[in-house]
Amino acid sequence: MLRASVMIEGNEVNMHAINDGEGARGISGGDLLIKFAEAVVGEDDAVLARRRSDVVEELGPRAMVDAAGVASNFERMVRIADATGIPLGAGLETYSAEVRTALDLERFNMGKS
Amino acid sequence: MVPCPTNVGRVPYQRIRTEAKTISIDYSAAAWPIRDDFAAAHARFWQRLAKAGSWWTAAERIAIAREVRDSPSCSLCVERKRALSPNSVSGEHRRATNLPRAAIEVIHRVTTDPGRLTRAWFDGVIGSELSVEQYVEIIGTLVAIKSIDSFCRAVGLPLNRLPDAEDGVPSGYRPNAAKLEDAWVPMIPADANTGAESDLWTIGRTGNVIRAMSLVPDEVRTLGDLGAAHYLPNAMVMDPTAHSPHLDRQQMELIAARVSALNQCFY
Repeated sequence: MLRASVMIEGNEVNMHAINDGEGARGISGGDLLIKFAEAVVGEDDAVLARRRSDVVEELGPRAMVDAAGVASNFERMVRIADATGIPLGAGLETYSAEVRTALDLERFNMGKS
Repeated sequence: MVPCPTNVGRVPYQRIRTEAKTISIDYSAAAWPIRDDFAAAHARFWQRLAKAGSWWTAAERIAIAREVRDSPSCSLCVERKRALSPNSVSGEHRRATNLPRAAIEVIHRVTTDPGRLTRAWFDGVIGSELSVEQYVEIIGTLVAIKSIDSFCRAVGLPLNRLPDAEDGVPSGYRPNAAKLEDAWVPMIPADANTGAESDLWTIGRTGNVIRAMSLVPDEVRTLGDLGAAHYLPNAMVMDPTAHSPHLDRQQMELIAARVSALNQCFY
């Protein structure tokens, strides 16, 4: 969905920022949002507080709260997918094939089945 | 603030109000404006958590939530997370509750190291101590707690105190349409959510990550309810122009993708 939303905006973004954790400058506040997401997944409360402040300062408190909602939502979705052994399904497999290859996402699926 | 003795969290609990068995969660004291739909969705899950589910009693469901909160400080989980292979580290989990041993293993592993779960691991935990129906309800409960607690921590709020358990017995409800396909757990086929399950998704139009919880239909309902506040209503997810009130879709998907990558999720 990242690629689709970027295309609709006529924007360009470095998709490798998803793996690398930096270089998302094509998206407003992109690098700060990546750092905030990393802090939400991480365990250091002091780092999280700094990343939260950075997002509040750049994008405002309401955007930070929405970002917290999205990050915490995907803490949930990844666990459902990983714990139930679901396949992608034909539609999603086709839809995401290009991005999955570019980002080597299959490395996360090795040895699971 | 009512700290729970089994809590290992770094922050005190958020106060919740319980009146006539309705639970409300109030985020109005936060340093930032929190949309009302977050508190409302969280309160609805807390209300559900306080009651017996399909395969676990209310006390057991709340015990699952306690284990989710406690597992990051389990030394076995910490060691396994650091190891090249989690199977190379043996030992006992530091348990906070009296749940069955297989349930403890599931809760701790899925909470702390979800990216390295395998089919062999799943086959090893399902058996006399834990049915696949109980497993799915654990996952549904676990992920709801994880997302709500993660949200509170992300915005700098204390965790919500877990509710008190209400009386009642599990319903034992299993949807007739659920069957084993190519996932580890049985699921309702995308075009078979009829009758009591007709509300779970628009027939024929859903993703495997939604169907994954359908062996326990209430877990799909909770998934949709929380997702609508945290992310988007299920029906809008595939519309790339849909977005939350204060982020555009590119920003949302960037966060989603980074969280998924950090958790080593292929999906």
